[in-house]
Amino acid sequence: MKAFPKFALALFCVTLFLPTHGWATIDDALSFALEAADPYVKQGFTVREDYWGGDLPVKQQKAIVHQLFKGNEYWFWMGTDVENARISVHIYDSDGNLAEVEHWQKPHMAAARVVPKTTGSYYLIVEIEKSDRERTHWSLAYGFR
Amino acid sequence: MKNRVFLLPSTVAALTMFAFAVSPAARGDEPKQHIDVSKLPQQATLVDDVIVPVPSEVFGVLDKLGSPNWHDVLRTDVPSVPSERPETALLLGNVIAEGFIAVEAQDSEQVKKIGRTVLQLSDAMGVRKAVLARSNAIIEFADKKDWPRVRQELDGALTDVKEAMVVLHDEELAQLVSLGGWLRGTEALAQVVNRNYTKDSAGLLHQPALLEYFDHRLAHMSARLRGDEVVAKIQKRLPEIRPLIGEADSDISQQSVDQIRDIVHDLVSAIAPTPS
Repeated sequence: MKAFPKFALALFCVTLFLPTHGWATIDDALSFALEAADPYVKQGFTVREDYWGGDLPVKQQKAIVHQLFKGNEYWFWMGTDVENARISVHIYDSDGNLAEVEHWQKPHMAAARVVPKTTGSYYLIVEIEKSDRERTHWSLAYGFR
Repeated sequence: MKNRVFLLPSTVAALTMFAFAVSPAARGDEPKQHIDVSKLPQQATLVDDVIVPVPSEVFGVLDKLGSPNWHDVLRTDVPSVPSERPETALLLGNVIAEGFIAVEAQDSEQVKKIGRTVLQLSDAMGVRKAVLARSNAIIEFADKKDWPRVRQELDGALTDVKEAMVVLHDEELAQLVSLGGWLRGTEALAQVVNRNYTKDSAGLLHQPALLEYFDHRLAHMSARLRGDEVVAKIQKRLPEIRPLIGEADSDISQQSVDQIRDIVHDLVSAIAPTPS
């Protein structure tokens, strides 16, 4: 997290000298995911220093399996660099039941919170719901407390 | 910012098929209440897209469950550097996990010793530079008894070491670092649970996706690595744990916890033999 302000500054400088198309990367998406995480860090969530990302076409989803532990609380934050894209992240338990206790979607960001009822495998489902790009970069970070 | 794990292209096609099984309810705000996980492509339930938790996630829960006597669990002997790289990688993960136990025990001298051992093993793996700052930070914050920061730096050391190995095209060794850490963490967890058994604490051992992940990774490692004596032993014994960790809704009995502890203890002893 400490490196984020430097990264944001570097990103700003880079954008001054590049055309508006073609520079978008998962790093840009990640900066939005971490921006989404920021208020929760102040609430005591530890943000893991690993990030997951890629690009997806609109209306295609991706599943990621995650081991979660009962007793922890988790926030998953997803970001995209695409201005008008609508993205989502949702969490299901190993039986396929929606497990999150809250979620939200904002421009460039989406998030979901889960307080696992049992320790075990959970499915994170990420999706680009709307975008004017053929493929949209996304990035996912998470925190726990 | 530096650690990103990109999802492998080989699984992307299969995973995106999942779109047909899980479309959001009524397009928009509310997600579907239930999805059919049986329609997940096989890859989604296997390895490439499994997130291996950092040790802090497990130890954070243990903190909330009570105050076990971590000094009883902590190993204080300093392991020597193995001559084989796969065994060094396993030991490195093991030692980092030991760092978390030392943090739980609030033993700053032991944490500092572990910080130095991490550096020594990283040096043997050719990734000293990547972990030097972390090692120094571990020692600095252990001196200050700033335990949350020590934990954070240990998590970071694990991540940095693995990332540096990936850069060196040692992905398989990076996986062994994870495995070594997971085995020591599981051994400590089983020991703690065993000494004060509750269904909730035993439930922390229910980690089927991780078992499957490590099992699969070992099965697909190069013959050279699988030929290593310790790696071969782990590959042979790991599947014995699966029936013991139960299903999602079932409890893990104390007897199963005992058996898990014995299996992982045997494997950890192979990775880090107690000096005679």
